[in-house]
Amino acid sequence: MEAPPVTAMPVTGGTINMMEYLLQGSVLDQALESLLHRLRGLCDNMEPETFTDHELVYLLKGQQGNPFILRARRSLSHPTSPWHLRYLGQPEVGDKSRHALVRNCVDVAASHSLPEFLNEMGFRMDHEFVANGHIFRKGAMKIVVSKLSRILVPGNTENTERLSLSYLVELSVLAPAGQDNMSEDMRSFAEQLKPLVHLEKIDPSKQRH
Amino acid sequence: MQQREEKQLEAAVESLISRVAHVKNALHSFIYKLENEYERLTWPSVLDNFALLSGQLNTINKLLKNEKTPSFRNQVIIPLLLSPDRDEDLAKLTEQRVPVFSHEIVPDYLRTKPDPEVEEQEKQLSVEAARIGPEVAQKQIQTLNKLCSNLLEKLNNPRDDRDSESAAMRQNKPSFNPADTNALVGAVAFGKGLSKCRPPGPVAPGHPGQGPMMSGGPTLQQVTIGGGSSQQAGKMPSSIKTNIKSAPGSMHPYNR
Repeated sequence: MEAPPVTAMPVTGGTINMMEYLLQGSVLDQALESLLHRLRGLCDNMEPETFTDHELVYLLKGQQGNPFILRARRSLSHPTSPWHLRYLGQPEVGDKSRHALVRNCVDVAASHSLPEFLNEMGFRMDHEFVANGHIFRKGAMKIVVSKLSRILVPGNTENTERLSLSYLVELSVLAPAGQDNMSEDMRSFAEQLKPLVHLEKIDPSKQRH
Repeated sequence: MQQREEKQLEAAVESLISRVAHVKNALHSFIYKLENEYERLTWPSVLDNFALLSGQLNTINKLLKNEKTPSFRNQVIIPLLLSPDRDEDLAKLTEQRVPVFSHEIVPDYLRTKPDPEVEEQEKQLSVEAARIGPEVAQKQIQTLNKLCSNLLEKLNNPRDDRDSESAAMRQNKPSFNPADTNALVGAVAFGKGLSKCRPPGPVAPGHPGQGPMMSGGPTLQQVTIGGGSSQQAGKMPSSIKTNIKSAPGSMHPYNR
């Protein structure tokens, strides 16, 4: 049988390659209030938004070395919202003078059957945690101040224990590939948060050992 | 001689009017912004507005102190005609703020003495000053001068001097802990200290069970998540060993 006509072929491609620019830091509990005040003044004026999310990280161990990682996230404060699935690539080792961590990022929404689907596909859940905190926006930049908690009983998000006495602060921008001017804006915003928080580019692979 | 003074006076008044008009415009736009664009306002832009007003007031002060400016105290303004009727020209000139040049507005707009309360306060202050005597006053003046010059010196010195002093003070109240930053980033990036099946610590399970690849079979690998009892207090002991063996080639239904 001959191949189906080209017009009936599935459509592939057509998505823009999005990169995530990331700067991270942390702030102790006692300094949290001052940080929130400063962010409320610096960022776009909107009602302060809090969130509680449950994130599960799935691994697919391939034949080669590095496992394929997918992150599934759902909101505990809006239980009917769809799940959010995200893939984050390896950080780009571009020129060292770039101020932020850059990595490829693919985001999709998914229905509530996502965990079963991933299990059927062969992914196994590696770890999960609960993050809750505040989110601020300034233009294209997103600032998230969150407290991470470990889940003691797998699947039970009520029973959690805090990971540390600090809040994680992340400044991120999603932009199409090739727009390097975002890192300049991010750096000047990070300057405004000193000395409360030092936002910097932290290479995750260096943290392993 | 008189003409020169008159010309100077006129020039000074003109420039004063224009400066005051600038201040008025700046105030007008600032108030408009505060009232109408309340949601979009950020603190840096409010500070900018204040800085602009302060700069304009500064120029007015400089203008008044200028040598070429004749002393305005020597001039007297006397209203020649007061009428309760509405004056259209005056209204247009003042943007409808002063429609009538009448007896009510004269005490407010042409006032040269301070308000009665202010006068009272000034009188009290001068009585107080006369009471404490010249030597005490002199000493107070000297202390004030010394404090101001200390402050100015601190502010004008180069940053490094200041930083070394304040670094010592800042260490009493650090607002972030770099070790915590690393721990949190590790937890988010690859689950350091989070996984229920692993002991806490930076140990990644490495590459467990990358056993021999079964060629020709389906792609499920042999995966062993290292179990053993968990070593964290408060966690349920979980010795989960999951073995997913890939189907050996001989189970292929069509193998013949």
